[in-house]
Amino acid sequence: MTSHSITHEDEFRAGRELSLDHRKLGMWLFLASEVMFFGGLIGTFLHYKATVPSPESAELDTVLVGINTFILVTSSLMVVLGLDSIRRGNRRGLLTYLGLTALLGAVFLGGQGYEFVSLYGHGITLTSSVFGSSFFTLTGFHGLHVLIGVAWALLTLGKALRGKYSAEDHVGVEAFGLYWHFVDIVWIVLFTIIYLI
Amino acid sequence: MTSSSSPSTHVASRARQYVMVFVALAVITAIEIAMTQTSIPASLANVFFLAFSLAKATLVATFFMHLRDDSRIYTAIFLLPVVLVLAFSTLMLMSAGGH
Amino acid sequence: MTSESIAAKPVPAWRRYFGWSTDHKVIGLQYLVTSFFFFLVGGAMAGMIRTQLLAPDSTLVSAEAYNRLTTNHGSVMLFLWILPVLAGLGNYLIPLQIGARDMAFPRLNALSFWLLVPSGLLMLASFFVGAAEAGWTAYVPLSVAGPDGQTLWAISVVLLGTSSMMGSINFVTTIFTMRTAGMTFWRMPLFTWSMLATSILVLTATPVLTAGLVLIAMDRLVGTLFFSVSAGGDPILWQNLFWFYSHPAVYIMVLPAMGAISEIFPVFSRKPVFGYKMIAFSSLAISLLGLTVWAHHMFTSGMDPRLRVPYMISTMIIAVPTGVKIFSWLATIWGGKLRLDTPMLFALGFISMFLIGGITGVFLAAIPIDLHVHDTYFVVAHLHFVLFGGSVSGAYAALYYWYPKITGRRLDERLGKVHFAANFIGTNLAYLPMFLAGLLGMPRRVVNYDPRFTELNQLASLGAFLLAASVLPFLYNVIVSWVSGPKAGDNPWQAKTLEWKTTSPPPAHNFDMPPVVTEGPYDYGEAAQGSLTPSPSAAGD
Repeated sequence: MTSHSITHEDEFRAGRELSLDHRKLGMWLFLASEVMFFGGLIGTFLHYKATVPSPESAELDTVLVGINTFILVTSSLMVVLGLDSIRRGNRRGLLTYLGLTALLGAVFLGGQGYEFVSLYGHGITLTSSVFGSSFFTLTGFHGLHVLIGVAWALLTLGKALRGKYSAEDHVGVEAFGLYWHFVDIVWIVLFTIIYLI
Repeated sequence: MTSSSSPSTHVASRARQYVMVFVALAVITAIEIAMTQTSIPASLANVFFLAFSLAKATLVATFFMHLRDDSRIYTAIFLLPVVLVLAFSTLMLMSAGGH
Repeated sequence: MTSESIAAKPVPAWRRYFGWSTDHKVIGLQYLVTSFFFFLVGGAMAGMIRTQLLAPDSTLVSAEAYNRLTTNHGSVMLFLWILPVLAGLGNYLIPLQIGARDMAFPRLNALSFWLLVPSGLLMLASFFVGAAEAGWTAYVPLSVAGPDGQTLWAISVVLLGTSSMMGSINFVTTIFTMRTAGMTFWRMPLFTWSMLATSILVLTATPVLTAGLVLIAMDRLVGTLFFSVSAGGDPILWQNLFWFYSHPAVYIMVLPAMGAISEIFPVFSRKPVFGYKMIAFSSLAISLLGLTVWAHHMFTSGMDPRLRVPYMISTMIIAVPTGVKIFSWLATIWGGKLRLDTPMLFALGFISMFLIGGITGVFLAAIPIDLHVHDTYFVVAHLHFVLFGGSVSGAYAALYYWYPKITGRRLDERLGKVHFAANFIGTNLAYLPMFLAGLLGMPRRVVNYDPRFTELNQLASLGAFLLAASVLPFLYNVIVSWVSGPKAGDNPWQAKTLEWKTTSPPPAHNFDMPPVVTEGPYDYGEAAQGSLTPSPSAAGD
């Protein structure tokens, strides 16, 4: 019926047989839930975009935010180049790219802050209209995710400084990267539905 | 497991691939911004914007998030909610004028 | 090959259960006890509701208090009893059933339980600042305008949802990556399969409710205009966000119960499960289809009329995998050597009562019928048959079945049968009259009603009081048996799933050596003997 011949150290063997790392799997499952969370907010934004006229949306600065989009996309490149570095055992490369990621993330947040302030200056606020409510809530939650990402990047940077990652074990970097790229993808969608369409 | 701590030179760098994907993303973004400054009819432009958005998201997910190289299970886990959100968003657009 | 020869670690001191533990068995038990407390709270509210409804013009409870009672009865039962008790069973059982030492993320697991505590406290605290009164469905704009307790209610539900999602991340990761050697997906117990199907729903549906609750909270706290009708806000948007979660939620609440009875039927009929793969696939089908039906709760809302028929069709389709399961269970027990112990009684009760609930669900799916009975007691009857007759029966079946494993003691069978009889009679007496009341036109959520419904309401209240009384033999049994019941041994039911191959209760590390699995979990009786090579195990048939 059953016999005993495997030790406890091999407890994730079933995952390895499926080419799954349990930490990456956990992160992907978390990201799936995040897709749905943003989906609820995106559905809300789109519903009101289609049903409530929003002349205020003419005040949106597409070029500025377009440049900001470019900055966020660049930061994703930084993350994956950092991962590429540590996969080859290049710790210094990882540190550099993580630092650049955090920096570009902060610049993105600065750009968003500038856009928000500018809109407030035009009387478009969180509570001024349905458009204001849905715009600031959607982009605000995204910005919050970027902020958490910047903090996470710095935490990962700190761990990298202490030598926690190597060519053989850097799942933590990969997990952070997955989160960061996800936040980038959300922005790609948001930029399109808010600023382009 | 090896215990080597020196750079593993036998693991090839994929930096070139990543940079190429980045260039594609940057070019598409530039085209998008440029299109907003022209007077292309909205209904036509919107089709392009949606297609570009899908393309960019797919590039990031496939190459930067390594869905292409990893287990199909990760892809399925990511794809299901994406499909659901697409369906939900479509329904929320259709409900225009529901009350 | 029993584990008695190997010294098992002693049962953790009771103190462990009140603190932070990363042991999934401790966490599981924390969930079970905490959720049962809230079952009693929700039940007390039901008692007040049914007392008020003994007479058509009773003034025992004010209209405002009545709305708060119905709102919180529903909310407590759904969010703080059924969801966590099933999550608790999943927590306790999944690692044991797949031969693992613990969950993939033990600290996340502890956190997911401890989020339940503030969630519950906030729901209770809401009564001090004016409890939520907009129904558990919290329709806008009423919920945006309501008393302060509504905000606490919203935060409570967000915390509960977060707890739920964390749990499911653990369940899915554990199931995919920590199955012991030889435990292929097709040798996994059906309870574990059901938790996998449930987790898909938890992860995809819960966040949408969270988004909606954030919008309500923001309207209430910072003055956003999401649901301000004069500004263009749309009440139907809330309904879509709410029901996108809350319909799958009912499958989250029933799939684990179905998984539990799938375990019980083969053991108590000494027969292999009929249609093991079909039951597993049906769980997944119910899960995925469950994401497509939500607007059947909105047929009378003024929703886009073009969408109503598609939702009716998708809703009716869900009856198919459910039917597959019911027929598979019946085929499992057919011709079996039935042992009518309490777990089996509750499992059999589940089938009959869930059938009534399910069939009336198909009635409700038909738009023309729904237009007449929406928001009447017909719906109240339907939902209680599936949730009480179904999920709660399943939960009781599971608790009676796994109690020996968790505590190392046997429950008293006579008290169990008394509990079952009172529960079965009480459920039918409480809820069958409500079908008739609804068809005759009695609306739900009303503090007073037309006198022509009086007898039906009195019958229902009688059934409800019987249900309240039925909890007493259960509680007494659980407590006294834990202290002085007969020792259970490793495998009192002679079952074949892995949790029964270790001690009762299991040691902290679950198995002294990770088991290696060489056969399916339900190969009972003569039908299976021919396919087995002789085994040294004495687990017995």
